[in-house]
Amino acid sequence: MKKEITKYYPLIPVFTAYLFLFLVGKNISGMWQLVAMLLFYCAMGQAFNIFLGMTGYVDFGYVAFMGVGTYGMALAITNLAHIEGLGIGIIIIGFILALLMSTLLSMAVGAVALRLRGAYFAIATIGVNEGFRFLIEGARIWNGSEGLIFTAQLNQILGREAASSLMTYWADIMVLFIAALAAFVTLFYMRSKIGYALTALREDEDAAKVMGINVTKYKITAFITSACFAGLVGATSWALKTPYVFPPEVFEIHYTIEAIIIVLLGGAGTLLGPVVGGLIYGISKYYLSIFMPGFQLLIFAPIIIIIIVLFPEGVVGMLKSRTKGSVLARFII
Amino acid sequence: MFLEQLTGNLIQGIVLGAVYGMATMGLSLIFGVLKVVNVGHGAFIMVGAFVTLWLFNALGINPILAVPVAFAVGMGLGFIFYYTTMQRLIKAPELATLLATFSIGILLEELVKLTFGSEFRGYNWVVGKIDIGVTVLPMSKLYACIGSVIIALLLYLWFNKTRAGSAVRSVVEDSEGARVCGVNVGGAYALSFALGIGLTVASGVLLTMFIPVGINPYMGGGYTLKAFVIAVLGGLSSPYGAFFGGLAFGLIENGSYTLFALIPGVEPFALTRFLSFVMLLAILLIKPTGLLSTK
Repeated sequence: MKKEITKYYPLIPVFTAYLFLFLVGKNISGMWQLVAMLLFYCAMGQAFNIFLGMTGYVDFGYVAFMGVGTYGMALAITNLAHIEGLGIGIIIIGFILALLMSTLLSMAVGAVALRLRGAYFAIATIGVNEGFRFLIEGARIWNGSEGLIFTAQLNQILGREAASSLMTYWADIMVLFIAALAAFVTLFYMRSKIGYALTALREDEDAAKVMGINVTKYKITAFITSACFAGLVGATSWALKTPYVFPPEVFEIHYTIEAIIIVLLGGAGTLLGPVVGGLIYGISKYYLSIFMPGFQLLIFAPIIIIIIVLFPEGVVGMLKSRTKGSVLARFII
Repeated sequence: MFLEQLTGNLIQGIVLGAVYGMATMGLSLIFGVLKVVNVGHGAFIMVGAFVTLWLFNALGINPILAVPVAFAVGMGLGFIFYYTTMQRLIKAPELATLLATFSIGILLEELVKLTFGSEFRGYNWVVGKIDIGVTVLPMSKLYACIGSVIIALLLYLWFNKTRAGSAVRSVVEDSEGARVCGVNVGGAYALSFALGIGLTVASGVLLTMFIPVGINPYMGGGYTLKAFVIAVLGGLSSPYGAFFGGLAFGLIENGSYTLFALIPGVEPFALTRFLSFVMLLAILLIKPTGLLSTK
């Protein structure tokens, strides 16, 4: 039993960080907006890390899963708003739909792309978000390029008061829980067979295959899990916080890049990495946008290059090798 | 009537396709030699477009003459990025090179935005047009097409007839063997990278003939995706494959646009873009070595 508990020690720093964020946002006035943004980045990083970090495969079309998640929630609210007495249940249906849609898309993409490796995988996925966006716009699915706006429906179902507190407060709390859940699942995977299999795969896929590891099965599991969390993040951070969805916005490759930066900055494949990366990235972006608006990308691009060339391990990766053998090592993975 | 329109569009497709092909040769060259996927490909095309724009509007220089200038600029950028970044990442996992080239692309876009601003710009080069019955071709597009064919031929000659070209080919075949035989492998990598970037920037000049008012720091993204489809069509690692892949892609793009336009209630342009994505996945699934390769 004791061994079971020590297994989950590394969650302590992660959850402490989230609790700290929550307390800062709750008690210091004017901080909630920043905290909400940081939670979004941590959640996105945590979700992305499950696939990118654990397998080493780069999915450039990742944002598509967040996009369909957003659509899942949006579709539930716009189509079911007329049913009396659903109340908060509509949001639960929205989450289920978001999960369903991101799972389906990830299965479809995974079925093709996961047969490919390395550069070929990256090339196959780079068009997923654009492709899906152009399908929605071109075939005029779900209102095409006009998008969906559902502020009125949300007000109608929940009442103006509740809807506004959902947008400004409860949605962020949900993101917090999604991030925490993603961290838990990450650790659960790391500590089980799938984690070892994926480590083997990341080091040498052919050798792993020869050893009799069913690499495809584990790759698909990680891919779908990661996509599901992305869908949930989209459904909350985008659909519930800002009740509208436009195809060019939710399929913007920019978010994939942000997620990659966060994972890399913190340390790919580590549990604490996305939190550290999300905080560093979010805070610097927030203050850069205040002090040097319009220059964030110009500053971030060379930073990524420097990190890749000089610190490929990321912050937590470095911390991990520093603390090796000490008591702290049990908490940082 | 419809057939006439289709033929006209297909001819336009071939003309555009030749330029697409040339615009992808750099991508395939870099992948073929260094095994690096240049995810920032489109940004280099954008640099070429801005070189043209600047030379034409500020100095009144003919866009045809902008091709060698853009090529030189591209070679310079290629050497700079190779020696500062890529050289250290050749042996690193794919994740590193993909992100590095992506970041280089963003860096270029932001630098251009800082210098020129982010609004759409264009230039007006009047050289007349030619009527071939089914369609009207502007001379500028025809020049771009001819220019692409000439550049493709020059690359072929360079590869097969010069010492440096055969050195690069030997590195592609077997880099260890080439090293043993006294080939400067590092130099061949640097040269191929610079040449690939040079070709890409030069292709940006020719592409402006098709989008005279669509020049913008973020114009490259669409070309990156198209270039991937074309490169994959041509087998990803062969510059000549890429050229023919471009021709095929131009035909498919224009042909499918004409067909999609027949369906009521859809946006044909967006559907063409969707089709290119589906093609990419389908080719990778069926024959990752490329439809046009014999392997």
